[in-house]
Amino acid sequence: MSAPPAAPLLAIRSLRAAYGKIEALKGVDLKINPGEIVALIGANGAGKSTLMMTIFGRPHARSGQILFDGRDITDVPTHEIARLRIAQSPEGRRIFPRMSVAENLQMGADATDCSEAEREAGLERVFALFPRLKERMTQRGGTLSGGEQQMLAIGRALMSRPRLLMLDEPSLGLAPLIARQIFDAIRTLNRQDGLTVLIVEQNANHALRLAHRGYVMVNGLITLEGTGAELLQRPEIRAAYLEGGRRG
Amino acid sequence: MTGERVTAPTLEPASASRGSIAAFIFKKALISALVALVLFSLMIGIRTEAGPTGQLIYWTRFPELAGMVAAVFAGSIAVELLRLWWGPVGTVMVVPPKVQSALALARRAIAPLLLIFTFLVPVIFYQQRYILDLGILVLTYVMLGWGLNVVVGLAGLLDLGYVAFYAVGAYSYALLATNFGLSFWICLPLAGILAALWGVMLGFPVLRLRGDYLAIVTLAFGEIIRLVIINWQSLTGGPNGVSGIPRPTLFGIPLTPADDGLAAKLGIEFSPTHRIVFLFYLILALALLTNWVTIRLRRLPIGRAWEALREDEVACRALGINITTTKLTAFATGAMFGGFAGAFFATRQGFISPESFTFQESALVLAIVVLGGMGSQLGVALAALAMIGGFELFRGLDQYRMLVFGVAMVLLMIWRPRGLIGHRAPTVYLEHSQAISSDLVKEGHG
Repeated sequence: MSAPPAAPLLAIRSLRAAYGKIEALKGVDLKINPGEIVALIGANGAGKSTLMMTIFGRPHARSGQILFDGRDITDVPTHEIARLRIAQSPEGRRIFPRMSVAENLQMGADATDCSEAEREAGLERVFALFPRLKERMTQRGGTLSGGEQQMLAIGRALMSRPRLLMLDEPSLGLAPLIARQIFDAIRTLNRQDGLTVLIVEQNANHALRLAHRGYVMVNGLITLEGTGAELLQRPEIRAAYLEGGRRG
Repeated sequence: MTGERVTAPTLEPASASRGSIAAFIFKKALISALVALVLFSLMIGIRTEAGPTGQLIYWTRFPELAGMVAAVFAGSIAVELLRLWWGPVGTVMVVPPKVQSALALARRAIAPLLLIFTFLVPVIFYQQRYILDLGILVLTYVMLGWGLNVVVGLAGLLDLGYVAFYAVGAYSYALLATNFGLSFWICLPLAGILAALWGVMLGFPVLRLRGDYLAIVTLAFGEIIRLVIINWQSLTGGPNGVSGIPRPTLFGIPLTPADDGLAAKLGIEFSPTHRIVFLFYLILALALLTNWVTIRLRRLPIGRAWEALREDEVACRALGINITTTKLTAFATGAMFGGFAGAFFATRQGFISPESFTFQESALVLAIVVLGGMGSQLGVALAALAMIGGFELFRGLDQYRMLVFGVAMVLLMIWRPRGLIGHRAPTVYLEHSQAISSDLVKEGHG
């Protein structure tokens, strides 16, 4: 990604959102170009997940603007945003435990108007990316391991053939090796299919290595932005997110 | 533990602690007896009554109290021994493969066999009106159970006011038929539509509620409908109910001894049993329709969305499922079947009053769904048979009937915490079925 195209796929302008009186986003600006992986890092409670959910319409933005492919989606209801082919893999995976893997995947396509052929193609693509899911197709979602559940959550989001995939903490609670597999899969998706990805992570090291660009969020504001490599070199990032843990 | 099964059976330390087990059981029984003593000392030990001049007189009943405490003591020991004999609840029992395959065969055969038997009931028991009536009653509850199953079992919306839709259906048919002379076959869909409308009406205010809160509001809704029926005397006749509700006809041919009746047309001798048999097949058809529609819907995106909603509402939102329409369609579909059943109830009884639509009915139908295993069609049918049929079976026990019933329910919930048929059949099949069955792999929410 040497020269980013002029029109961003997603543009967020001075976005504010709140839960009751507690303001979680205090004027966020962010943009994602087509074909990019953008990482959003920050501490607990910085507002990363809120930003992702506000893009999806819940909580609703108090002020500011969200543009997707040039269209203002700030006031579009949640269930219609998915039809614009923005997909989300929520925090904590949230697969459907009593439904089979195949049913879980079908759920991803249900909200969009996919044809039967598109569903089949979607399944093939997910199974090519995560062969493990194919083996476990008839198994109940709740019987999968944590890593497999994360694969399922990503696979489910992919079933709607998204133009923008948003992942909330995909490495949460996973063993390092499994987390690497997940990140590799995201990289593959981006390189092979040109999928645009927004990834929210606590694991800053992994996320910034993977991403083309990154944003750092503190207390509801974007404090830093730059390419992944740049941010990795910043001393304050190293102190706060990469080496800080060793001392605490 | 939320009723999940434990994979690794906890091994009992063999003979080493036989004495300590006995001591444990004895101690537990002693504590239970002590609690019973405290509880029953006032409830049973002392009996009070108003004397002839209005003063309070009381006398003691120590022998009864002693008997009660002894019963609790002995019962506690018996329960503990049973538990010991069974091993810890939730362990995986090793079943030989032959028995397993036989069980699987039985499981697959039970539904068709039950259906064939049900079809033959009027033939076998033609002379026994009591059994036919009981069969109609059981089928009515099977239908209600299947209807509520859509709301509670599939969509996971706890509805304690299901009887409201039953009432709406019954009164719709009763009032439309007695006031406008509409036939049963016109009123049946109307009753379903009206009940579905009321389902949506209930659905709207409770869209944001879940679990306990939803249960309370639906409970209130059921009571509101009943109270409106009681108090709107000019329309519903209030507590006097509606009488003279027309009997159903076989597409216009009445089942009466009259010259244009079915018996006369077929040239056979009239018998009142004809109508009973007709009603039996009518409710059977309605129940099967409910079942068929539910099974079809489960395979469509809307049915899948209901189940997903039961599993995780947040995830549904993230996938762009429209929560509002999903919930409302679940309420409306469940209510519609309740309405059909209500219309049937009205035409069978010929008379309806608010007394038939109390909370007890809602509770009974909900119990059928829960006992049957939420979401399992066969389980609900079996539970309805056991609850309604079993209730009749123990009629000879008089006041102990409820006791037997309660004990049976407690035991069932200990052994099968997910209901009679607790496993859920997947609805999506892909070309190659895998060797690993989901039943063999125990669930662990991760």
